[in-house]
Amino acid sequence: MPVIEIKNLSKSYRVYQKREGVMASIKGLFHREYKEVHAVNDISLEVEEGEFVAFLGPNGAGKTTTLKLLSGVINPTSGTCSVLGHVPWERKNEYRRRFALVMGQKNQLWWDLPAAESFRLNQHIYGISAEEFNRTRDELTDMLDVTRLLSQPVRELSLGERMKMELIAALLHKPDVLFLDEPTIGLDVIAQHKIQQFLKHYQETQNNTILLTSHYMKDISALCKRVVIIAGGEIYHDGSLEEIVDRFSSHKIVTLQMANDRSLEGLQNLPNVISVEAPKIKFRVDREDVGQTLGEILGLHDVDDIVVEDPPLEDVIASAFSDAAEQQKSQQETIEASSP
Amino acid sequence: MNPSYLKVFLTFARNSLVRDMSFRFNFILTCFASVSWALMNFLLFKIIYQHTDSIGVDTGWHENEFFIFLGTIWIINSLIQTFFMANAEGFSEMIRTGSLDFALLKPIDTQFLISFPRINWAQIPNGLLGLSLVIYSLRALMNDSEKVISIGPVEWILYVFYIGCGVVVMYSVMIILASTSIWLGRNQNLHTFWFYITNFYRYPMEIYQKSGIGMALWGTFTFVIPILVVSNVPARILAQPLERGWYDWQSLYAIFAAAASLVVSRWVFKFALSSYRSASS
Amino acid sequence: MSQAIPVAEQSLSLMQRARIWWTFFQVAINERLVYRGDFMIGTLMRFLPTLTQIFLWWAIYDVVAQSGSDSIASYRYGDMVAYYLMVTIARAFSSMPGLTSGIANQVRNGEVKKFLIQPIDMQGCLLVQRIAHKLVYYLIATLPFALVFFLCRDFFIDGWPSTEVTIVFFASLILTFLLGFFMESAIGLISFWFLEVTSLTFIYMLMNFLLSGHMFPLELLPESPINVRGFVEFLPFKYLAYFPAAVFLGKVEGPEMYRGLAIEASWVLFFIIISRIMWIRGVKRYSGYGG
Repeated sequence: MPVIEIKNLSKSYRVYQKREGVMASIKGLFHREYKEVHAVNDISLEVEEGEFVAFLGPNGAGKTTTLKLLSGVINPTSGTCSVLGHVPWERKNEYRRRFALVMGQKNQLWWDLPAAESFRLNQHIYGISAEEFNRTRDELTDMLDVTRLLSQPVRELSLGERMKMELIAALLHKPDVLFLDEPTIGLDVIAQHKIQQFLKHYQETQNNTILLTSHYMKDISALCKRVVIIAGGEIYHDGSLEEIVDRFSSHKIVTLQMANDRSLEGLQNLPNVISVEAPKIKFRVDREDVGQTLGEILGLHDVDDIVVEDPPLEDVIASAFSDAAEQQKSQQETIEASSP
Repeated sequence: MNPSYLKVFLTFARNSLVRDMSFRFNFILTCFASVSWALMNFLLFKIIYQHTDSIGVDTGWHENEFFIFLGTIWIINSLIQTFFMANAEGFSEMIRTGSLDFALLKPIDTQFLISFPRINWAQIPNGLLGLSLVIYSLRALMNDSEKVISIGPVEWILYVFYIGCGVVVMYSVMIILASTSIWLGRNQNLHTFWFYITNFYRYPMEIYQKSGIGMALWGTFTFVIPILVVSNVPARILAQPLERGWYDWQSLYAIFAAAASLVVSRWVFKFALSSYRSASS
Repeated sequence: MSQAIPVAEQSLSLMQRARIWWTFFQVAINERLVYRGDFMIGTLMRFLPTLTQIFLWWAIYDVVAQSGSDSIASYRYGDMVAYYLMVTIARAFSSMPGLTSGIANQVRNGEVKKFLIQPIDMQGCLLVQRIAHKLVYYLIATLPFALVFFLCRDFFIDGWPSTEVTIVFFASLILTFLLGFFMESAIGLISFWFLEVTSLTFIYMLMNFLLSGHMFPLELLPESPINVRGFVEFLPFKYLAYFPAAVFLGKVEGPEMYRGLAIEASWVLFFIIISRIMWIRGVKRYSGYGG
C-alpha cells in the first residue's frame, strides 16, 4: 500500500485584484474584485515507502501548496489524499507525530535562543524520552557537524548552519515521511553539497519517504530517482530522471577531439555547432541521426576521441517547463474558444 | 509518546526568561513602562477624587473602595499581559508571515501551542503593584470606623478564584480578536483594539446602569462580551461597596461566563484555522 | 556627501520637486487604503473611550450635584463631555503614530542613506506622507465623527462658537498637526546620536498623555501645594490636545486666545528649527562615520 496517495487534489484561492491609482484604491474600499487562482489543479499521485521524490517546477507552479496540503497546513478545495493512512488536514496527533516539514524560507527555531532550547521544546511537544532524545540529537548534530554550535543563539548562525539546525529540529522525532521545501535555497555550494550528502545518507539508513522541492538540479540529480514536474498546478511529467531526458531533449551533444587542426576543416560549417576550440569541436545532433552523422565524419576526418552525452539537466528541464507552459496556454485557448 | 503540556509550558516560561534576560535594557524599560501607565491611571483618579467623594450616588465607590477596584484591574491586566498579550500578537504575526504552518504541524493542541510560547515576565511588577494597592486600600478601609467590612480566608480564596475566571474571559476575547487576523489580514492594531474594548471594564458597572444606552452597554458587556464581570465580581468581594458577601447572581454568572467564553473562543479559533491560507515565504 | 544635498536640491525646479512630492503623496495614500478592514474598525473604536468617559463623568457630576454645585473647575457636565470630544479631534491632528520609531529605524538600518543620495528631503517627504495618511484618515473618519458629534450635540451647551473663535480653532488644529510632526521627528532624529530611542519615545508618550490634557482638562490639576497647573502652562504639550479644545469651548477667550495661538506658532517654529539643525548635524555626523 502506498505511503502517500493523492486523488484529484485541487486547491484554489480567491485573490484580491488591486488596481493602480488613487481613485481605484478608494473604490477598492467599497467594492473589491477577486480572481480565482488554481494553485493545485486535479493532481493524482502515489508514492511508495522509501521513495525519494523530487517536485520540480517553475515558481508558483504549486509545489509548495502541494506540500502544505500533504502536511495538513491548509485544506483542499476538492479531492482526497491519504498519508500513512491519515487524512492530513484532519490534523490528528497520530499523524503529526509521524511526519515533518522543513521549509527553506521559514524558520521554526527561536531566533534569540540557542538551537538546543528549541530542540528541547520539540522533545516535550513530541513526547520523546530523554535517552532517545539525547541519542537522536547527538547522532544528528554529529552527522551534520554542528555540535559546537548548539549553544549559540540562532540569530548568530550562518544560513547554512541554521538550515542544518532546522533539519535536526524536524528529524528529532524520527518522522516516517519528510517534506522538504527548498531546503538548500540561498546556500553556498559547499553547504548545499553537505546537506545533500546528509539527506542521502539519512534516507538510505532510515528508509523513510521523502518529498523534496528544489530549484537546484544538483539536489535533484544527487538525491532523487523519481521526478514529478508540476506546472500551472498540474502534473506534467512523472518518472525517472532518465525518462525526462529522453522525453524533453531531442538531441545529444557530441564532442570530437581531432588528430590535428587541419582535420577540423569543413566541420566548422556543420549546423548546430556549439563551440570550436581547435582541435576540439562541440555540436548538437538530433538523437536519431547520431549514428549516421558520426559515421560520415569518421569516414572523412582524423578523429582521436569521441564523446557523446546528454545536454545539461538544466537545459532539459528548462525546455520541459516551456513545453508545459505552451501546452497549458493552448489548453486555455481551447477552453476560452469553446466557451461562448 | 504523549506530549507533556506542563513540560512544554515550563520550557516556554524558561525560554522566555532566558530571552528577556539577554535583552535586559528592554526588560527594564517594559517594567518601567507598564508601571508608569498604571501610576498615571492612579493619578487621574486621585485628581478626580479631589473633586468628588464617590463615583455615582449611593454606589459606595468611595476612594478606598475604588482603589481596590483599580488594583484588581492592574492584577488582571498584568496576568493578561504576562501570559497572553504577546502571544495573541504573535499569533496575528504568525498568520501574516505564514509561520503558523509550524504550529499546525506539531502533535499538540494548536491553541495551547500558540497561547503560551512567549511569557512576558516584565509585566509582573504591574501586578505586584496592583496587589499592594489592593492591600493598602483594604487596610485603610478596615481602619475606617464608619465601614463594616469583613475579610476572611473565604473572601481571599473567592477573590483569587474570580480573578482566575476573569483572566479566562479576557484570554478568550483576545484569542477571538487575534483569530480575526485570518480574515482581516494584517491586524497590527490588535493592541489598540484591545485597549478600546477593555476600556469598558475599567469602571464599576454602576456607572452604566442609568440610561437606556448605558443599560444597553451594561447588557452587552455583561452578556455578549462578559468583560464587566471580570473586574466587578472579584473587586466587589474585597471592597464590598454596598452589600457583604459574594452571593450576588453575578458571582454565579461569572463562572458561567468564563466557561462559555472559553468554549466560544475555541470554536472561533478552530473555525479561523479552517480558513487559514498560509502566506508563502 | 552632506554638501551635495543642497546643490542637488537647488538644481531641481519647483515643478520637479512638486512632482516628486505628488508621487510620494499618491504612494502613501495607496498604502493606507490597502488595509481597509483595520481602518474602518479602528476609526469607530476611537470613540469607545469617550463613551465610557460620558458615563464616568455622569456618575461623578451626580455626586457633585448633591452638594448643590453644577461644575468642576468651571466645567459643567456638558462641557466635560464636549471637552473629551474636542480632544479626540485635536489628537486626530497631533498624534503621529510610528513617526519616531520610523525615523529611528531608517537611521539604524541605513535606509536614511537614500535621502543623502537622492535629491529629496527626508523631513519634507515624511511630512507629505503624513499629510496623505491624515487626509485618508479624515476622509474615512468624517462619517463616524459626524455621527458621533450629531448624537452628542446636546453636550455642547453653548452651541457653535463665533466665526472668530472657529477660525482660531482651525488655525490651532493646523498648528497642532505641525507641532506634533516636528516634535516627534526631532525625537526620532536623536537616533543619529543614540541608536536606542524607544525609551525616549516612551517618556514623550507618557508626558504627552499626562500633560497635553488628553486625560482631563488641565484646569483640574492642583495649584497648591505645588502649582502643577502653572508649570504645565509653560510646556508645549498642552497645544497637542488641550488648547484647541479649550478655544472651541470658550475656556480661553479674547487676547488670551491669540496669545495662546502665537505661543503655539512659536513652539512650531522652535521645533522646525531644532529638527532642521538636528538633521543637518546628524547627517554630517553620519556621513563622517562613513555610514
